[in-house]
Amino acid sequence: MTDLDVWQERARAWLASVEPEFGLRARAGLTQDEDLALGRRYMAAKHEAGFSGITIPIEFGGQGLSPLHKVLFDTLEAKAAMPIGYFGVSTAMPLPILIRYCDDKAWVRERVVAALRGEEIWCQLFSEPAAGSDLAGLRTKAEGGEQGWTINGQKLWTTFAQYSDYGILIARSDPTVPKHKGLTFFWVDMKAPGVTVRPFRLANGDIQCNEVFFDDVAVADSQRLGPIGGGFSVAMATLMIERYAASDADGFGPSIGAFVEMLRPLTINGKPALKDGRVRSVIARNHALRQGLDSIRRRAMLAMEAGMEPGPEGALNKLFSVRSRQKLSELALDLQGSAGLAYTEGAYTKADWASSWIGAPTMRQAGGADEMLLNTIAEKILGLPQDHRPDKGVPFNQIPA
Amino acid sequence: MSILYDEGQQAMAEETRRVLAARTDRARQLELLDRCGEWDETFWTTAVDQGWTALAVPEAFGGLGLGLIELGLVAQEAGRVVSGAPFLTYGHGAVCALLASEDEGLQSTWLPRLAKGEVKAAVAFAEESSPMQPHPSVEFRGGKLQGAKSGVAGGLAADIVVVSASAAEGPVLVLVEAGDVLERRAIRSFDNSRLFADMIFDGSPARVLVSGDAADEAALDIQAQMAVLAAHEQAGGAEAAMQAARDYALERRAFGQPIGAFQSIKHRIAELYGLVEIARANCIHAAARQGRGDFLEAAACARLSAIEAYDMATRDAVQIHGGSGVTWDGGLHLHMRRARSLAIELGNALFWEDLLAIELTGVAA
Repeated sequence: MTDLDVWQERARAWLASVEPEFGLRARAGLTQDEDLALGRRYMAAKHEAGFSGITIPIEFGGQGLSPLHKVLFDTLEAKAAMPIGYFGVSTAMPLPILIRYCDDKAWVRERVVAALRGEEIWCQLFSEPAAGSDLAGLRTKAEGGEQGWTINGQKLWTTFAQYSDYGILIARSDPTVPKHKGLTFFWVDMKAPGVTVRPFRLANGDIQCNEVFFDDVAVADSQRLGPIGGGFSVAMATLMIERYAASDADGFGPSIGAFVEMLRPLTINGKPALKDGRVRSVIARNHALRQGLDSIRRRAMLAMEAGMEPGPEGALNKLFSVRSRQKLSELALDLQGSAGLAYTEGAYTKADWASSWIGAPTMRQAGGADEMLLNTIAEKILGLPQDHRPDKGVPFNQIPA
Repeated sequence: MSILYDEGQQAMAEETRRVLAARTDRARQLELLDRCGEWDETFWTTAVDQGWTALAVPEAFGGLGLGLIELGLVAQEAGRVVSGAPFLTYGHGAVCALLASEDEGLQSTWLPRLAKGEVKAAVAFAEESSPMQPHPSVEFRGGKLQGAKSGVAGGLAADIVVVSASAAEGPVLVLVEAGDVLERRAIRSFDNSRLFADMIFDGSPARVLVSGDAADEAALDIQAQMAVLAAHEQAGGAEAAMQAARDYALERRAFGQPIGAFQSIKHRIAELYGLVEIARANCIHAAARQGRGDFLEAAACARLSAIEAYDMATRDAVQIHGGSGVTWDGGLHLHMRRARSLAIELGNALFWEDLLAIELTGVAA
């Protein structure tokens, strides 16, 4: 066994040992507040066991290991259905950004450890009502300069802002230059005067997303991350950090195996559903697709293990797997007939067809809409031209609304 | 076996691509479409000279003792240029059939000659619209074959043919030395260099390779191995068609910009990229699973995703090319034709869907 295998076995054993306390069964029936509290205890236990902040340098309270270690652990952890959703954004992007751009290293270390232990939560204040895929079109204003800044505006889709202690924020510091050039990056205290957080419900009933309003919120210049006007590069660097995220060929929905088992007792026109040619075709085609995505994932892991850069085809997983999940979930509900009508809000998407179905559109939009992913593949991998962009090179305040 | 190509394998793929690019003549390929019974001799000589015929033959019989991964790499490159003869895939089928046999005489007669490319082989399993049958209508009695096989790829040129048949004691795979012992009826096809023929056996002498349950098992394994090679060809062809669409979308301008700047075009090409990569990943995985318990499942995945990728890529590449996609000289129809012939050879998508469904559910249709 390689060192990596040994490490992975240790991770597997630890996860198995804590699964009864924190896993899917322990979480069943909990309110969101109770689940969050359980999650905080899990994060603390994980930190003590030495599995949190895997890629974060040791001097900042992490493990100082490779992205491959992280992907391996995240994959195992997702299988165990641990209560980690509340900390996903918090521990993914904000921490490396603080480490890279914030000067007060002792303070950064405190924040990193508190976030890794689930004691503090960070959110990411990027999207706005009029800036989603077109992030650089954002309108939240940062006025001032080295004497201090005042933030005014509104963020939207901010995941778990209702539980957050801090956030990383991107705002427009100069509207007179083209849109990518007038942005600046900050960290903010979510409890500061003038910050208002309003959670709202998503279509599946979940209360994860928030509107966040900034009314004359004062921010010190020491909270600036990166140069004035350099915010877009910082945001892009943030997104690059998560290049090697754990992926799931089932699109975080149920597996083909689960589909087959769900169908086994069902009939169509008096015959077993599994004998129906249409059903068999769906099973075979979705399995072939997911098997391909899984081979791409495993090949990327092997490449990383060999110290090579994985191929760009890793970018395909979300696009293809979530569409497969969406359609398969629709069919799974339909095939169950009246039994498919039941709905348990908040059920785990990998184990519940209705949750998988109703949550699928969110997956197709969050973290890069399908259409943006197709643009990225076309432009970055295949070298096709950018779309026509009438706002290109135009000062932000002269772009027609 | 790893699903990550090693350096030697990568070098082999690059060299194969270079050689085939230098020796493939588009005009000759177009000519061949009009000629029934001819193939691209340059492609075949190249395959023999480069030792591709020997790749998966054991060293004891004069081969290189490699396997589906290496043969798959060559097949992928051959697919990219719409290779002018079907003998590599079916030669491998014959090698597998001989290796499944316990007849050392047949092995030592034919395996070295297959490795050297001295003989061309075909595999005749299909009867009418069915790619494989539990009880073939072709009968084997007293050392002789009686009956008909359909749409045998390479059939017009094969020196030896592996045939599935029914004998008194059950299923058999037999080997026929083609010569004049069988009647070949040429199929004038949309893809003539595949050399399709119906074969009529009327007392043709044949030698038993495998019999009984082992014959059924061997037939399925041979079919799956050939299907994995065909899938590599399809993935290579799909990638070539996708790249042709990409190149054309960059060059062709309309409404004041390259057509590749329109999302209706660029998204379509990006979708093709996805299908090609998924098919390729399944192909590499399947090649690496040869000889394992899940090989049939992996082969079915490769075959299904490769059929889909090649069909979609040719359909969309032709559409994106507009008028120049449908001219004779433009040659994109070579891919369109090959996508169709390869989708029919070795069992269509429905055949593989059913096989895969059986593997996944344990339930027959």
